[in-house]
Amino acid sequence: MLAVAESVEVIERRIDELRAAVRRAVIAGDRIRAKALRAELRGAEQAWERALNALEGRGEPTGQVADDGDAEARRDQTGGASSRQLVRRPGPLLPLREQVHHALTLLAVPAAPKLIAEVHAAFFGPVTGEMSGARLTHLRRDEERSFRAAPYARPYYLCAALTADHLSPARGLLAISTWALERRMIGPLSPRVDFLTAAVNIAEHAGRMVDSDGVGRLLWRFAMNIPGAVETFHRADRPAGKAEAVAEAARAELVVHAEADRAHRREAAERAAALTDVTRLFGNRLRVIRETA
Amino acid sequence: MTAGRLDRLRGTAAPRRHDARAIAALAANPGCHRRAVLDGAGVDKQRVAAHVGFPARFGRSQFAISRGNAFEAQVKANGCAELLRLLRELLGLSIPEVAYDDLEQVAGQDGLDLRYARSRHLLGRAATSGRGGTFFDHPLLRLDVAGQPVWLEPDLIAFQVAGRFHVVEIKSFAVVDGQADPAKVSAAAVQAAVYVLALRQLMADLGHDPEIVSHDAVLVCPENFSNQPVAHLLDVRKQLRVLRRQLDRMARIDDLLARLPPELTFDLAFDSTGTPTRDPAELVEALNAVPARYTPECLATCELAYFCRHEARGCTAALGRTVREELGGVETVAEVLGLAAGTRPADGEQAEVAALLQTAARLRAEVLS
Repeated sequence: MLAVAESVEVIERRIDELRAAVRRAVIAGDRIRAKALRAELRGAEQAWERALNALEGRGEPTGQVADDGDAEARRDQTGGASSRQLVRRPGPLLPLREQVHHALTLLAVPAAPKLIAEVHAAFFGPVTGEMSGARLTHLRRDEERSFRAAPYARPYYLCAALTADHLSPARGLLAISTWALERRMIGPLSPRVDFLTAAVNIAEHAGRMVDSDGVGRLLWRFAMNIPGAVETFHRADRPAGKAEAVAEAARAELVVHAEADRAHRREAAERAAALTDVTRLFGNRLRVIRETA
Repeated sequence: MTAGRLDRLRGTAAPRRHDARAIAALAANPGCHRRAVLDGAGVDKQRVAAHVGFPARFGRSQFAISRGNAFEAQVKANGCAELLRLLRELLGLSIPEVAYDDLEQVAGQDGLDLRYARSRHLLGRAATSGRGGTFFDHPLLRLDVAGQPVWLEPDLIAFQVAGRFHVVEIKSFAVVDGQADPAKVSAAAVQAAVYVLALRQLMADLGHDPEIVSHDAVLVCPENFSNQPVAHLLDVRKQLRVLRRQLDRMARIDDLLARLPPELTFDLAFDSTGTPTRDPAELVEALNAVPARYTPECLATCELAYFCRHEARGCTAALGRTVREELGGVETVAEVLGLAAGTRPADGEQAEVAALLQTAARLRAEVLS
């Protein structure tokens, strides 16, 4: 029951976030985004109803909840005349940021939205809600806004990886604020090192799991782009052996780059340590000073 | 002097910026004076064509653009993982050569000057030290076309420690069973040649041997019916020669201008709302003053093609390169028919063609009867 109570709180926080996001989208005149967010909000509210019912011990089956008066009234409030179909679909129980957090924790390196979605799909089931590049850019901006409003109010933030040369946000990469600063620095060798590290982490995780098609496919895609991995991947007869083959090949190449990369990252991290909290998490942006000149 | 003249030709509008595609298109039909003059002056051909009643019916499809972008993103995903494998096989990149520099933005900014300076710095450093960077993602290069700087953005440049720079061009058309659409491959080759030329110019500016940039570009395409990328080397020496000649010609545009009436202009005379007010008939006359050389290939590359095609109606050249070569010296279709029917006296040069045409006409008549 405690877990359910916790999840209710998570959903409540999610609803608050979504309401704020809807308001922002409406103010910005972005109707498409507002519509998508409203749908997500309705889903979250449904999830909240269900979780509350579970707390009461009524445990009504999904879908029927919508017929009670409360939900009906709320539907009218949100103007969702067409929400009947949406109501029947279970909404995302976990907010997107937590799904991203799960996948990133497994990868343990800064990653692009596509890889995050693939990893989540392979290990935790398909991502609920939309995980596109644009959506994640919004997510990162929301996180930044939240951090600026109340620093360190959340246990973790989804933040940027920083380029080692200018300490600016690296294009299209997400990271977690609790990681060591070094891990979030992206030097010239880091994309490859991170790819190989991700391969090792995924392979190790896959080795501990029961075999699944999704994980096998993900591993194969990593194996293809690591020298020496394909042959041993094919030779291995057990899934655990395949995972071990990928990890081993990735480690072999990692040795070549690791030291130089670590030096780059350490040097950059030392510089980044002097930044303010916000810039250290979300990156330094070069300002164009033409206007003031 | 020339610059003032070109400004007059263009009129009040701002000069149009060229890109690699436009430069590649220039090389596709080097004999066309009209294109050379209009492009040299930076005239917006699209609007001119629309104003004289022959709007260009091309433009890239949105689907093609997103497909191209998606494929490029896939190839470059995860630190260029797929590309790295391909280039290790094709160019023999050694294992430590994996460094990647993103030049699409500099510190979150995408100003052209800033990006150019950074690209120049990083590429120069790689050339000097032989180290420091293998992949340069979307560097910004510059090429002077008829006195105007043109910004160019290759998909990627790869550098080998032991070797040279290679321009990598990522295209989303498929290579099926080792074969691809020749027209698309040659278009890609010309585009790659534009980048090679710009990169060589950069290297020469920095005091390096321009030959450090390989004339073998790397073409990355999806293989067969999958999304799996495959890489091939593309020798662009021939395209480089054509391009250089064409750009030289544009630089010596004075010769072309000298033959044109001094008061000539392609100004559309925009009013305050941006609507062109120039008399279309007058504009047609201005266009007619510059000789064009229409070929059917123009339809794919030039905004004015429909206008030129209309103008070239009845000419043998409008039927394509092969027809023009076969019928060398015979200008119009009416002439060809006259020669074939024997109703037109063939002079010395045309005697051979006339005999061929008459044979062809006889064969055709026999087949049809």
